[in-house]
Amino acid sequence: MDIIIYGIINSATLALMALGFTLVYGVSRLPNFAHGALYVLAGYICWILLHKLGLPYVLAIALSLAFLAVVGGAMYSFILVRIRGMSISEIIASYAIGLAILEGLRWGGLKGGTFTLDSFVEGSVDIFGVTVDYQRLLVVGLGAVLVGLLYFFVNRTRLGLALKGMAQDERAALTLGIDSDRMAIASMALGSLSAAVAAIILLPLGSIVVEAGYHVLIMAVAVCIVGGLGSWTGAILAAFVIGFAQILTTVYLGAHFSVVVALVAIILTLIIKPSGLFGKQKELEERV
Amino acid sequence: MTRKVRLFVVALSLLALLLPAGGALAAKPIVIGAPLSTAFLYGWDAERAMKLAVEEINAAGGVKVGGEMRPFELDVIDTRDLEPGVPVSEALLAVEKLILEKHADFIVGGPVRSEAALAAMALLSKHKKISILTTGSLTPKYHAVVGKNPEKFKYLFRISGEAKWMVLGELVPCLMDIGKQFKLDKLYIMVQDVAHARTGGKILKKVMGKKGWKVLADPVVYPTGSTDFSMGLLDAKKKGAQVIIIWMDMPESAILLKQWYDMKVPALPFGTIIAAAEQPGFWKATDGKGEYCLANVVNAGNAPSDATPWTMKFVKAYQKKYGMEPEGYGTSSSYMAVYVLKNAIERAGSLDPDKVVAALKATDMMGVYGRIRFDPKTNQIIPSLDPKEGAVGTVFQWQKGKRVVVFPPKIATGKILLPPWMKAGK
Repeated sequence: MDIIIYGIINSATLALMALGFTLVYGVSRLPNFAHGALYVLAGYICWILLHKLGLPYVLAIALSLAFLAVVGGAMYSFILVRIRGMSISEIIASYAIGLAILEGLRWGGLKGGTFTLDSFVEGSVDIFGVTVDYQRLLVVGLGAVLVGLLYFFVNRTRLGLALKGMAQDERAALTLGIDSDRMAIASMALGSLSAAVAAIILLPLGSIVVEAGYHVLIMAVAVCIVGGLGSWTGAILAAFVIGFAQILTTVYLGAHFSVVVALVAIILTLIIKPSGLFGKQKELEERV
Repeated sequence: MTRKVRLFVVALSLLALLLPAGGALAAKPIVIGAPLSTAFLYGWDAERAMKLAVEEINAAGGVKVGGEMRPFELDVIDTRDLEPGVPVSEALLAVEKLILEKHADFIVGGPVRSEAALAAMALLSKHKKISILTTGSLTPKYHAVVGKNPEKFKYLFRISGEAKWMVLGELVPCLMDIGKQFKLDKLYIMVQDVAHARTGGKILKKVMGKKGWKVLADPVVYPTGSTDFSMGLLDAKKKGAQVIIIWMDMPESAILLKQWYDMKVPALPFGTIIAAAEQPGFWKATDGKGEYCLANVVNAGNAPSDATPWTMKFVKAYQKKYGMEPEGYGTSSSYMAVYVLKNAIERAGSLDPDKVVAALKATDMMGVYGRIRFDPKTNQIIPSLDPKEGAVGTVFQWQKGKRVVVFPPKIATGKILLPPWMKAGK
């Protein structure tokens, strides 16, 4: 039972980490390699608002989310727009932005484990004899809510439908008057917002450290490659595959092997089904 | 005396007072190169402590080399060797840069990670550069390598503790005390995937097994940067662990303690090395969830105690300069290393490496954590449970927001407590 419960928690954690990355790639085909850095930045901004400015938790969260959405939009408007369509340049530029953010935070004093956010709820509960703290249950709950909200947004709102249109066929969307750059700004803002939501929910479980940025990026990339680049359904399924594989590896092989699960998953995916579980962009090559 | 003469005398006296310091500051500085992983506790605490010592020494006039007073100058380079995924070669490049480009006269501090420190040994010997390890590297292999080839590695010293003594000399006696006091004998070991922790975990399992304790599993090894310890904690709980040994130098070890608290695991957490819990800010960072955690900060002075008259003097000076108590286990040893170096240079009367090595080997002085002497064959500091005899360690427990020293008995300021959700054995 502990494998099932903690497998679900771990999978929800990975899904939360990867949703923003998937969203941006799915809509604007931009591989945002600054995703992990935005995650850490959100946590740190929230920490500053809470502990340095003394704002209430709810306000600090709201301001952090808004700030990250602006940062994401600005990243596209001022930098990525100039290299749009050049995949390698997009990766290099976004990764460089991420590095600048993370190393800038480190230079600014984000070191060690003393930067933490408070849990939303304290205490724990026994589920079928397995002790789980409320914050981890909240991770699962809020993860599900976030997926639901994003689904509603994409399928039921004008902006969401426009984003979906861009994802399905950019040229057709352009002929219908949808502005590609505005959609990319919106997707970057939303993706960064998702990274911030993940940070606000997950960071109270640990501490805000620069290294988390690299970890989150690796996990997000692994989930997206295994699920199929740009596929939300694939990303969620992949999060569960990798999440459970990590827990099973920890239990049966040892915790130190769990670190390679994500990398093994990427390699296996690229060998067996390069397009990932639900990806489409490489189907032709695979058939050939 | 006329007013003019009085003024002249006063001016002359002031000049005389200022001369030693002024003279030292004008002289060519003695460069201490410090390769440290500055983004991590065991790097920045060492850097701060060395800065403090250098400032104190320079303010008092500097170092007397022959007939000349010379100041110390500290040159720190970030080795990044405590960061996950950073190769050992980065630390070697940092050491080489300090020697060749920064022209460091001495290397003090790191490299911090055992693997990097071991790799740097040949490089330091090649350049005949005296090095005093003060933080990080706890592997017994370091001084064993020196001991096997004392002529080649004669320039290499370590002034902080090492894993073998920490396990056999401090941890095991402390665990035996805990076992006797609370009737506990079931042990679970969690270590980080680094050389000193893996080795320490294995030794501990073997030794405690022989001492009659039930070691419930092989040490569970976590990669550097792990953020989830739930399965290990659940396993420990299921197997009835009463003490959980934690050996991790990563900041994420705070997550382990938060999970331990949230799961209410009825076992005493004992960090042989636990970076997160060593810091004074740990209490606030975990909202008190780390209460009852024991932590070994290797040398006295890294938490307040009265080990020697110098201990609290150092603690207060650090507090005054940085607004907090000394932090991780590299603090007092890094501070002390600068003073020991000064002492050796002055006795040698020269910066010549061979003369300073001879003087370092003959070191016998009282320091922040007791009597400072090096083993003549291995250049490893001689440890003891009594500060009058050697370098004494410190195990403290977090109690009501304070780090209370509980071991060794000669310097203890309080008793070990069990968490309220845990009962003593029968």
